[in-house]
Amino acid sequence: MDLSYKEKALIASLGVTVLIFGWYLYGAFSTLSLDPTAPGLVEIIVLIVWVVAFEASIQGVLAFRNRSGLEEDEREKLIEKTSYRYSYWFLCGCLCFLMGNILLADWLDYASVLITPNGMFHVLLLFFVLAEVINLIVQLYYHRRGF
Amino acid sequence: MPKQIRNNIRRLRFDAGEMSQQALAEAVGVTRQTIIAIEKSRYSPSLEVAFRIADTFGVTLETVFHYDEEETK
Repeated sequence: MDLSYKEKALIASLGVTVLIFGWYLYGAFSTLSLDPTAPGLVEIIVLIVWVVAFEASIQGVLAFRNRSGLEEDEREKLIEKTSYRYSYWFLCGCLCFLMGNILLADWLDYASVLITPNGMFHVLLLFFVLAEVINLIVQLYYHRRGF
Repeated sequence: MPKQIRNNIRRLRFDAGEMSQQALAEAVGVTRQTIIAIEKSRYSPSLEVAFRIADTFGVTLETVFHYDEEETK
């Protein structure tokens, strides 16, 4: 398959995002409880450092191998803007769902794991990661299908 | 029938000594994928890129692009 520099960069970003955040969120959600403690700051910093380090090294190699030397042109910027619109609406939907959950838990007086600081943090992180995944997949789709 | 911006880039490349899509992309300052998309009328470039394409071939904008009825497939 003849992939452009941009497509390779998008696939690399998608891989790093899904693997590292997926691994972290899988661990976090499998041990999630009503315990009101907030997530450890060190864990979060380590996670961010891992993502940045992986992403920077892969993108660095791809940029080095980019023969055209051109990073982004007008069509690619347009694709990026369009895909951000999809992830924005997805994020809006997710935040509405979370707000509804908070209100319902308050009105119906039930304990929800989403309302604990730990649960809220991880659900928000999951929504942001999913929004990023949608953004990357839509970009890849438009690059393949044509825009 | 709906109208669409069509182009003669393929023929102009041929007339310019079989210029490759990569060579045209480098001359215009876009990626090869963008040239492919423009050539297939799947993407309408900005005026600036359209003028740069015309300038590369040394022709007017109307020689490269025209606003026609969509071809029936």
